[in-house]
Amino acid sequence: MTASDICFAPISELSRMIARRELSHSEIISCFLTRIERYNSVARAFIEVSAEAAMKAARRYDALTAGAQSPLHGIPFSSKDLIDIAGVATTGGSRAFADNIATSNSFLIERMLQAGAISLGKNNLHAFAYGATGENSTYGTAVNAYDHCRLAGGSSSGSAAAVAFGLAPAAFGTDTGGSIRAPAALSGLVGLKPTMGRISSRGVMPYCWTLDHIGILARTVADAGLLLQTVAGYDPEDPNSAKEPVENYTPAPFFDLKGLRVGLPSSFYFEKCDPEILAATKRVIERLEEGGASLREVQLPAMEEARTVSLTVQMPEALSYHSRYLEEKAELYEADFRAGLALGQCLLAEHYLRAKRFITRYRQETDAVFKDVDVIITPGAPVVAPRVGQAFIDWGGDQEPVGNAITRYTSFFNMTGHPAIALPSGLHSSGLPMGVQLVGRYFGEGPLLSVAARIEAQGTPLPSPPLP
Amino acid sequence: MERLRKETLDGLVRQLASFRWSEAEIKELVAPEMGVITSFQDLLDDLERLRQMDLGDTPPADRRVQAGDRG
Repeated sequence: MTASDICFAPISELSRMIARRELSHSEIISCFLTRIERYNSVARAFIEVSAEAAMKAARRYDALTAGAQSPLHGIPFSSKDLIDIAGVATTGGSRAFADNIATSNSFLIERMLQAGAISLGKNNLHAFAYGATGENSTYGTAVNAYDHCRLAGGSSSGSAAAVAFGLAPAAFGTDTGGSIRAPAALSGLVGLKPTMGRISSRGVMPYCWTLDHIGILARTVADAGLLLQTVAGYDPEDPNSAKEPVENYTPAPFFDLKGLRVGLPSSFYFEKCDPEILAATKRVIERLEEGGASLREVQLPAMEEARTVSLTVQMPEALSYHSRYLEEKAELYEADFRAGLALGQCLLAEHYLRAKRFITRYRQETDAVFKDVDVIITPGAPVVAPRVGQAFIDWGGDQEPVGNAITRYTSFFNMTGHPAIALPSGLHSSGLPMGVQLVGRYFGEGPLLSVAARIEAQGTPLPSPPLP
Repeated sequence: MERLRKETLDGLVRQLASFRWSEAEIKELVAPEMGVITSFQDLLDDLERLRQMDLGDTPPADRRVQAGDRG
């Protein structure tokens, strides 16, 4: 097995190799660190690499005698730089927080370390998660592994680039409007946004409390399930943490599609979309139907003002968090974020509350749809990865800002809080990945992952990115 | 409703805001040139459309969601 094979292996395979002593922990960590050293100047996936600490942990594990171990024992991972790791700066992707050293681990990092996983470092992002392009003036822009002139997608851009470039087997991110699922769709990965509150947000720098979700970017659906199993659960120190029981998130290997009811939105989600992405989504739907699933058209709430509702909640909440830091170091904040915060300053309380009342309505109406279907399916994003610096997508003369386009199919489900997963649906004629999105019932991550695993098994695996 | 004027935001920032935004940032909200954010007036127009929709006694969303019908 080559070093490249190791870096693109699923976690289950790495875990097997460790258990059979075919590879030591330090050999695996060394493989990834070497690859980060080689490709990070191109990928811009990592802001901080914890090479020394990672190697130290691996050597310590090598010295342990064999015994029953967690499947994550010795497995490397990385995390978006909004997520606290004790002793390491949480920069939020901004120079304004360059010296913001975390004093303790976030809940999810603590869980990962307890399971024996090894942190490789902190991933790049669109500063403060404000934006879906991942463009970052301080730390550079994380690029797409399939075409380095194109975006990885954001805001969890570095997390996506880390996995897509083979610099980490999996990474954690946050998703406020699609910031995990959109980069997953653009980068040929699996991106899981669990139900709101399923993963504790303690120790994660907030962008918008109402819409933020913690989630996972991985190479396979099973890997996403394994990581969710590790970090899901009630956290009494997070007031927003869900008390719902943690179920088995290992996808059922032969999940029976017979009786599965698949919802197809009657409007919006199949409009203004690249025809090849639409065709790939339809192929996925056909395969589900061939496997025994039944298809039903579903009516989701009107989407015309959904982005306005989302923005009206985002900016006042972001300002509320950043207000005290603005007093201290406003000049270090990025211009685009400051413009958004200024907007948040000028909205009225009535606007904010009206938007939040619409969110209640969206939740009620979407939850009602799940009385008739088990999952909803949409394309993951309406476009393949745009070029770095591209401002608009042209839809026959209608110009749509790139960030809005990338997240057009994902942002609504941040407002409703339903679990959603993006996974590859094929390779576009441009050589870039395309993705599909599945949305499930509240706390129904188990069945959602099983359906996703069936889609994954039915499809042709994407070729590895064309890297030297 | 009258269209938004820069003077309105100037007064708001001077008398109510938590942070003293620059002249350029306020101007950008009224007449966007950077392309970073769409016009505040457009947003206000959308919000006015939303205001006219009857939400009855629907309360604002909190951070928690409820487990729905699991079938």
